[in-house]
Amino acid sequence: MGTENLVRKLPNDIGGDEAGKIERVEHELLPWEKRCHALADVLDFHKIINTEEKRRGVESLGAEMIGKLSYYERWIVAFANILFQKGILTPGELAVKMSEVEGRFSDVPDTRQS
Amino acid sequence: MSEQHDHDHDHDHDHDHAPITVDEKPGYFDLMETAVRELLIERKLFGADEIRRQIEVLDSRTPALGAKVVARAWTDADFKSRLLENGRTGCEELGITFYDDTQLIVLENTPAVHNLIVCTLCSCYPRPVLGLPPDWYKLKPYRARAVYEPRAVLEEFGTSIPDDVEIRVSDSTAIIRYLVLPMRPVGTEHLNEAQLADLVTRDAMIGVIQVGYDREAA
Repeated sequence: MGTENLVRKLPNDIGGDEAGKIERVEHELLPWEKRCHALADVLDFHKIINTEEKRRGVESLGAEMIGKLSYYERWIVAFANILFQKGILTPGELAVKMSEVEGRFSDVPDTRQS
Repeated sequence: MSEQHDHDHDHDHDHDHAPITVDEKPGYFDLMETAVRELLIERKLFGADEIRRQIEVLDSRTPALGAKVVARAWTDADFKSRLLENGRTGCEELGITFYDDTQLIVLENTPAVHNLIVCTLCSCYPRPVLGLPPDWYKLKPYRARAVYEPRAVLEEFGTSIPDDVEIRVSDSTAIIRYLVLPMRPVGTEHLNEAQLADLVTRDAMIGVIQVGYDREAA
């Protein structure tokens, strides 16, 4: 019961679903979110990742990640996955680079929420 | 929040990265964005200047551009017919550049038809003319419900459309975007184009509200 809908409708395909009241939320993009948006546009201009590939990349994150990650978190993870699939980056290279970037903030107290 | 402090940069960097003054470590996804961007720039797939330029482009796009298009269409019938024929070239006539491959279809509201735009699959939106979409446009309740109970959705925005007016919902795609051309409010015959543009809001061009004019308040 109900499992056929998992096949018929992928996680992004929510048009027509039951849903609650529209909360008219808005927020100013965080600096990294704006950079992520600009990155998306530049990736599209260069045909490295186009808009439809991005959408499918988000969809293929699966329902749990789509539900729990924020909008631009989904985008950047989708970009990384697509770049791995295309052989442009490897997960190892990204991990090394992320450590390097994090190291630039080594003298900043860690106030992040885990 | 901790106090802001100057952050000494003694390491070399030949590319831009996160803000120079920071009061907390960037989060995991923030780090990932910087890492992906820098790796691709190192590989010369694009330049750091392109990201900077695109941020400026994004910052320059606001609903004021769409409002200008709407006000021109209200005051120039020939422009309006060209705009309805081809939304993209119509906007380009007013100097609004399209920085992507998207086509724009302008949907005219009339006494018989009210238009509403949505992107059920994600968040496609006429960004060159309206800027970035509000969060509610990207969240499930609007995306899910706009297509099957638009009148109930409109009521939540305080918009009542009479039953004899047809409501058309247009679902955007990666390459086809929509903009609603609202009806010009009655009693605005004396207003010039710039004054008319001031009446036109983002939400009216999404189609969730109508453009109002209160002569007493004006």
